[in-house]
Amino acid sequence: MKSVSEVTDFYYKTLYPTLKKLEDDRKHLKYRIIIVGGLYTLGFFLIFLAFLDANSSDFLVFLAFVYIGGGTFIYKLLTKDYTGEFKNKIIEPLIHSIDSNLSYLSEMHISQEQFNKSELFTKLPDKINGNDYVSGEIDGVKIEFSDLHAQIRHKNSKGNESWETMFKGLFIVSEFNKNFKGKTVILPDTAQSTFGDLIGNWLQSNNFGRDELVKMDNIEFEKEFVVYSTDQIEARYILSHSLMKRLLIFKQKSQYPVYISFIGESIYMAIYYSKDLFEPSVFRSLLNYKIAMEYVKTLHLTITIVEELKLNQKLWSKR
Amino acid sequence: MSTSLIVMAVIAVILTLMYNSLVSRKNQVENIFASVDTVLKKRYDLIPNLVASVSKYMQHEKSLLEQVTKLRADANKPNISDEQKIALDAEVSSTLGSIMIAVENYPELKANENVMHLQRSLSEIEEQISAARRAYNQAVTDYNNAIEMIPTNFMANAMHYRRKEVFEIAKDQRQNVNVKELFN
Repeated sequence: MKSVSEVTDFYYKTLYPTLKKLEDDRKHLKYRIIIVGGLYTLGFFLIFLAFLDANSSDFLVFLAFVYIGGGTFIYKLLTKDYTGEFKNKIIEPLIHSIDSNLSYLSEMHISQEQFNKSELFTKLPDKINGNDYVSGEIDGVKIEFSDLHAQIRHKNSKGNESWETMFKGLFIVSEFNKNFKGKTVILPDTAQSTFGDLIGNWLQSNNFGRDELVKMDNIEFEKEFVVYSTDQIEARYILSHSLMKRLLIFKQKSQYPVYISFIGESIYMAIYYSKDLFEPSVFRSLLNYKIAMEYVKTLHLTITIVEELKLNQKLWSKR
Repeated sequence: MSTSLIVMAVIAVILTLMYNSLVSRKNQVENIFASVDTVLKKRYDLIPNLVASVSKYMQHEKSLLEQVTKLRADANKPNISDEQKIALDAEVSSTLGSIMIAVENYPELKANENVMHLQRSLSEIEEQISAARRAYNQAVTDYNNAIEMIPTNFMANAMHYRRKEVFEIAKDQRQNVNVKELFN
């Protein structure tokens, strides 16, 4: 499998002609957005002025919602072609440059069923959407991942709906290399780092939405994560010393909160980027190193997960 | 009057909580030890088959094979204490480790389907044992902490709770895993 620098080379060398063309499109698009956006805002501002004296704050709030909603719609409409082009000509080749066996569907995402099965979050989402679905087999290990946005609906006493984000980021499902029966969930350790060991530990062991707390015998891992499981022994069977080390390295590389669970035959991983990934940048250049590295590194980190976590070293009885 | 009643009630609640937490820690240790015992038995069950399969070839390691057979017999004796089981486990692990390394010197054994099967089964069980040991050690550490720390130590003393031993995870244990990986 290619290294990050090889993929970066691929981005800047092989994809350069395409990038150059897209970069021109991007500049045109940027001006179009600025002009359309300016006119749109001006229009709303005039309506706003006209109703300023009407003294109906409800209407102004409504207007603000319409402004945001309409703005998002127009932005999506304007960037649609550019986004599609970018995904087909940049993201897809990038994925194939890392592993040619993977298939990519820019409009699809991981199913809600898979998300619910992971039990990473104690509540179930009311709405799920996403894109950039990648699936396939790496070294005999099934893997799929996509961008995902899971939301919960709230209704207040007035009957107004609001949506709360429970997860936004990358969601990965892969086969795990050992057999197990129970459920083990690993979450970012917020209690211990906020309240210290003593109170944090107490809070963790009294987390009612979760199974039994499992204290791991790796101090660094214990600081970074908290483990809940239906089975104390099985949790340690899954989380061998070497897997704990590898997960720590993965966490350091990703730099975002990582949620992991082991249920059924699979390992589920959710990386909370809190943004939509693999979307083309409109206001900054695609040739910008930082932007390029975001695409390259995120894809590389995800696709190499099978190798990094040694998911391909299947137990003999699982072969 | 009522204040003293409240104080007494609070003390009673605290004592009950302390008592219950000590009992639950002790039971946790016992529960996990039962699981440790199960996986250890699984490994002991493989030993006769292993010895039978390799003894024809391993002339120089006769003593190792005799030793492991004897250890298994000891482990199967009724009424042995948990401490003895822990000690036996350590010996069995290191002896089996030596046998597995010795197998490397016999090409006939490495080509033998049955031996390879046993070796893989053993290394899988070894991983399960390692997990069970770690779970046991954590349960024992929690238990030992409770019986030594203020304020539960006073009550533990009154209940005659004694410190328990943990499994020592030997260095060569981790190397066993590496030997296994050669075959993967």
